[in-house]
Amino acid sequence: MTLDLSVEVGGLRLRGPVLAASGTFGYGTEVPLLERRGLGAMVSKGIFLRPRAGTPPPRIVETPSGMLNAIGLQGPGVEGLIRDYAPQWAEWDFPVFVNVNGESAAEYGELAARLDGVPGVAGFEINISCPNVEQGGLYFGNDPRAAAAVTEAVRKRTDLPVWVKLTPMVTDIAVIARACEAAGADALCAVNTFVGMSIDLNARQPRLSFRTGGLSGPAIRPLAVHLAHQAARAVNIPVIGIGGIMCAEDALEFLVAGCAAVQVGTATFVNPGAIAEVHDGIATYLAEQGFASLAELPRYLPRD
Amino acid sequence: MFLLNAALVARREVARGMFVLSLDAPPIANSVRAGQFVNLGWSPGPLLRRPFSVYRIDGDRIEVILKAVGAGTAQLLQMKAGETISCLGPLGHGFELAPGPSSVALVSGGLGVAPMPLAARDARAAGMQVTWVHGARTADELCSEADGDEVIWATDDGSRGFAGTAVAAVPDVDLVLACGPNRMLAVAASRWPDAQVAVETYMGCGTGVCLGCAVPLVRGGYDRACKEGPVYRAADIEWAMLPSHLPYALTA
Repeated sequence: MTLDLSVEVGGLRLRGPVLAASGTFGYGTEVPLLERRGLGAMVSKGIFLRPRAGTPPPRIVETPSGMLNAIGLQGPGVEGLIRDYAPQWAEWDFPVFVNVNGESAAEYGELAARLDGVPGVAGFEINISCPNVEQGGLYFGNDPRAAAAVTEAVRKRTDLPVWVKLTPMVTDIAVIARACEAAGADALCAVNTFVGMSIDLNARQPRLSFRTGGLSGPAIRPLAVHLAHQAARAVNIPVIGIGGIMCAEDALEFLVAGCAAVQVGTATFVNPGAIAEVHDGIATYLAEQGFASLAELPRYLPRD
Repeated sequence: MFLLNAALVARREVARGMFVLSLDAPPIANSVRAGQFVNLGWSPGPLLRRPFSVYRIDGDRIEVILKAVGAGTAQLLQMKAGETISCLGPLGHGFELAPGPSSVALVSGGLGVAPMPLAARDARAAGMQVTWVHGARTADELCSEADGDEVIWATDDGSRGFAGTAVAAVPDVDLVLACGPNRMLAVAASRWPDAQVAVETYMGCGTGVCLGCAVPLVRGGYDRACKEGPVYRAADIEWAMLPSHLPYALTA
């Protein structure tokens, strides 16, 4: 028996609910042995209009049950992405979303306009939550007007699905979620990394050259489940849950908490087969619990 | 690249607190090149895998060399024969040892000895005379296993061999390969710009995806120790921007 794990996310039918999170899957071309069977969609490494060198090392450090990263959105810029990666994506059997970044709302819009219609680009994930850039990023994510302005700037330039990736570093995620929904987002991704810091006691300075970094991994999972749940309660568009998912049970927590789908990130670093394992584990759980499809899974989503 | 669960076969001490672990990993043993590494994960272990240069090959087994530098490596050293360790590899771009030079010096400091036995194997296959130069702070911290047509020991305190650094003890040769603390490699780079050096960085995925293991380059920008590296032409690295010491590393 094959269980139906397909999901509808913001106007797009995905073959499964497990997606590869931005920044943890490169451009999808890096890891040859990676099992793509269970992949519902992939979100590319974050891209800017222009190439970026990224931050000096050290860029990552492990912390209890997690890791801090400050990569600084190193990347080839949009033209490099269109030249080197999009043609490969056009051949793949799952959609690729581009994680878009800018220093102003206008830059986000320009990026969307440039990528709209490029074969291989299935949609956009607007990054208003990167903690590791000096300009933009997180700034757009913790002000509802700025979040709405960026969402609208992209929405106006494309008919492709537009997702907005939210930051956890806010007082009330529901306010930001509603602002993005009202500005035309098709779905929300909750959440990006938490801003954290780790100190080297020999050097008596931060371990990361950027001083702070984004915390990911199992350490953030209960926090992320709560925030994704809060976002899902606040809006009528789908929410894609992200944060420390290592196995199927972790993903199911997000799904039951109201998410339509999930993204797996840090787990892929540890286990290149993580996404396929999570996908298969969800199917096993649903079968064991007597459900014929993911759509039948009851959600815990009381309305406010 | 292979991902497999490898049984821990044996462990031996090669210097005070420095151990070699032998793992049963046939496809990796049969394909690894000098300077490449494996990314190891174990349970219960840290979240991220830890990278180790492949030290030697023994039939279907690979060997890695380590000291207890943190909680993770301490766990590895407590594991018993028969327990399994998840191995991802071989990874990275190793040493270039094409025929041409008639002599090579394999220069290592401390755990930087890690990639050198395979380098000796491949250098000999390419017709080179191998000079093994290995340094440590004291005699009992020197890795006791050496593989050179000529072997030179160096200790900071003069308790064995040359009194001073491994770099200072290197004779005239056609080619230099070096591995050790980044500050040692920076000195090597100023003496031999064309030396091939294996650098240490923090590493996330080991497969080129996370961009965590950034190596600053003289021409500007960064590339990845796990993919384009960990072996570089010494003069290509912007040494002042590379952290000079890290608590865990490719060689640790």
